[in-house]
Amino acid sequence: MKSNSKKQIEGYKDHIKEIEVFRKYGVERTLEKGQVLDGINALHPKSIDLKVSRVIKETLTTSTLRLVSKNGYLPPFQAGQYINLFMEINGIRTSRPYSISSAPNQTGYYDVTVRRVKDGFVSPYLIDQIQVGNSLSSTSPTGNFYYNPLFHGKDLVFLAGGSGITPFMSMIREVTDRGLDRQIHLIYGSRKEDDIVFHEELADRSSYADQIKLSHVISEPSPEYSGAKGFITKESIQELAGDIAQKTFYICGPPEMSTFVSKALQDLAVPGRRTRKEIFGPPVNITQQPGWPETVKSKDQFEIILNGGKAIKAAAGEPLMNSLERSGVVIPATCRSGECSLCRTKVLKGKVYQPQGVKLRKSDQKYNYIHPCMAYPIEDLELLV
Amino acid sequence: MTDYDAIVIGAGNGGLTASLTMAKAGLKTLLLERHNIPGGCATSFIRGRFEFEVALHQLSGIGTVDFPGPLIKTFSDLDVLDDIEFVEMKNLYRVVYPGKMDLVLKADRAESIKTLQEHFPNDADQIARFYDFVWEYCNQWIHVVLMKDAEASAQKYPVFFKYALKSMQEVLNEYFTDPLLLSAIGMYYAYLGLPPRLSPFGEFALVLWGYTEFKPWHIKGGSQALSNALLNKFLEHGGTVRFNCSAIKINVQDETVTGVITEDGDEVSTKRIISNAGTYNTYIDLIDSEQVPSQKYKELAGKSVGVSGFTIFIGFDEEPDKLGIREATNFLTMDADANKAYDYSKTLLPAKNMLFTCYDVDDPQFSPVGCCQGALICLAYGEPWLKVPPARYFERKYEFARHMLTILYKVFPKCENHIEEIEVATPLTHMRYLGHPGGAIYGFDHLGKDTDFFIEKASPIKGLFHAGAWMGSGGFQPTLMSGASAGRALIKSLKN
Repeated sequence: MKSNSKKQIEGYKDHIKEIEVFRKYGVERTLEKGQVLDGINALHPKSIDLKVSRVIKETLTTSTLRLVSKNGYLPPFQAGQYINLFMEINGIRTSRPYSISSAPNQTGYYDVTVRRVKDGFVSPYLIDQIQVGNSLSSTSPTGNFYYNPLFHGKDLVFLAGGSGITPFMSMIREVTDRGLDRQIHLIYGSRKEDDIVFHEELADRSSYADQIKLSHVISEPSPEYSGAKGFITKESIQELAGDIAQKTFYICGPPEMSTFVSKALQDLAVPGRRTRKEIFGPPVNITQQPGWPETVKSKDQFEIILNGGKAIKAAAGEPLMNSLERSGVVIPATCRSGECSLCRTKVLKGKVYQPQGVKLRKSDQKYNYIHPCMAYPIEDLELLV
Repeated sequence: MTDYDAIVIGAGNGGLTASLTMAKAGLKTLLLERHNIPGGCATSFIRGRFEFEVALHQLSGIGTVDFPGPLIKTFSDLDVLDDIEFVEMKNLYRVVYPGKMDLVLKADRAESIKTLQEHFPNDADQIARFYDFVWEYCNQWIHVVLMKDAEASAQKYPVFFKYALKSMQEVLNEYFTDPLLLSAIGMYYAYLGLPPRLSPFGEFALVLWGYTEFKPWHIKGGSQALSNALLNKFLEHGGTVRFNCSAIKINVQDETVTGVITEDGDEVSTKRIISNAGTYNTYIDLIDSEQVPSQKYKELAGKSVGVSGFTIFIGFDEEPDKLGIREATNFLTMDADANKAYDYSKTLLPAKNMLFTCYDVDDPQFSPVGCCQGALICLAYGEPWLKVPPARYFERKYEFARHMLTILYKVFPKCENHIEEIEVATPLTHMRYLGHPGGAIYGFDHLGKDTDFFIEKASPIKGLFHAGAWMGSGGFQPTLMSGASAGRALIKSLKN
């Protein structure tokens, strides 16, 4: 509109006056530089610089790293959430997500509890190499495996397998420390008695806190063991958990256990809305997953061309992200389980295999985006990274 | 030689249409986006079996085959019409005040009038007169603002010149006194982010008229499908995009743009930038203040950061019909006085007015088979949330959400027992993902003094252009169109 025409709008002059008054009494905006980022960082900083303040040996194969913040501040989290820890091992920059096992009401540190994975790349490094005083960095806490008071009810059953105890430990610590009104029954499957992580502390907390009930299930028990034996099955859940009608079930454990236990809950007619399942990284052997092409072997190598230039080699049996990292190409990552979509990458040419449970948006599928943390090359590929 | 003809900061609605406009015109264009995905607000996220729509409730400006809206022209110019599938939403909205009022307005003028007259027979004549008046206002607006009639004057277009800057409340009061009727007819105030006493009547009239005439629409696959389509076309035209890569500084010399520094520390040179980061972030966080004429900061001092939203995304393991959800767009109110309800948005007290959108009503394939999703949202400013100590944040968030759900269950009692997923976003969540102060979703507050009549669009920095809500109006249609328009302005500037 022309300005002489605008001036004819009723109230135009009053509005001009209003603008002058607002500007006169307005705030000096240049002083607000950085304020938005400060606000964001109070809850969700992009990364946190951490230092190891203590290493606690939990079992023969499991250690807890106590991590404190170098700047003195750790953002809050919900019990059950994880951080993705970044590290450089033999010149390769990589990361792994770990649930925080300490309680959220305790704000001085994050504990992460790491179990040694046989032939693993990261867990032996964290357990054998990392010492008190060492530095690490991480994402801020994230993840969707936590107690949601809006619809989870107050009667909870935790189904843990092996190192899958870690998010539950945080939840149990919070509920017992704060005396929260929630009933928790932990059914914890371990291989042997001395594999049980947090054994004593769990016994202690369940002894003084009415909210916690504890059941162990041991698959390879010693002769003296007298408790529940075998795996967590439909029958053992039914027997241990009793009336399941109003209970909410949480599952966390290795992919095989998680799949098995989910099926058991389905058989018990527990509706999906009362089953919460934590992600647990890539399966041990991807070629055993349903839909894997028979003609492709785990060791097969494919050529991956990046942005029409650099070419790298990648093995079929390994997530693309790992192959990329080994070649010095670091893609942002948080969950490394196909869920968070941070590593979202466009495939220009070629096919990948993506196991079930990878959470791709509909329109991302249409335009050939993948999550390289849970995508496996089954042909030569061209990627836009 | 510079690295790029143009750089666009931010792949929100405005940034996407701006980038595509320029790439299509053959400009070597770089698009920088801090997140891993394009869209800004126009995005989705996945929880369990559900892909949740983040921000799009009703898309305006689409129109029908016989009467295409202005946004269709924008998409057609950008050559993306074939890549997007639109879904018509049958109704404007249902408005429910439990125990007091429950009515559904169709996206049709005559039907809307009829429905309102049935519910408020004493006001039958006034209702018809009001609709005539709103339509006449918009008709005059088309001539004056859109078609830029060179002879526009208060004599020629009396309704426009008299009412454009009046408050929505002032005009409503000329027609109605029944608080319930005022509530029912004025519900779209929520899309303006300010209550009737503060919203300019002109803006409200355009929203009511626009949705009624051009119908409300949605997009197959949600707003993410639109963002992905725009980005894909941009790539097809040779554009370069960098995700997970925010601009941390706009380099300016002698009040002229020279380039951008990215978070990776790369310095990329260009003489032309379109910032979709919002004028607040652009002038306060991205440019050295010594490089900006002080007048710009005076202008920003006179503006107030606008409203954000508090959203509960809910996945239900049941179809909408079986949950008693029959309309896609449901305004739920616990206080007929929208002005009073708005005041709650500046506090952490339980919200009085909210919107519940269930996309599956009009698009049964929106969620997995046998399921549906709903977004329950109220207007909420960032300020009170910024005062919550981080350690108390989650508790306050759930407490606030619980109150909203109580109202939802009052209207849709069956919903309570079919919840499979819930994710809650506060103003601080929006702040985190958008990077805007206070998590503002519509830019600055949009009072009369903040309307287009008073906005100086040209930047004092040579080579800098703006796209998005902070330099105009919020919402999908305005921001999408603002980017295309900024792109065209930039191209034009190259020819001069």
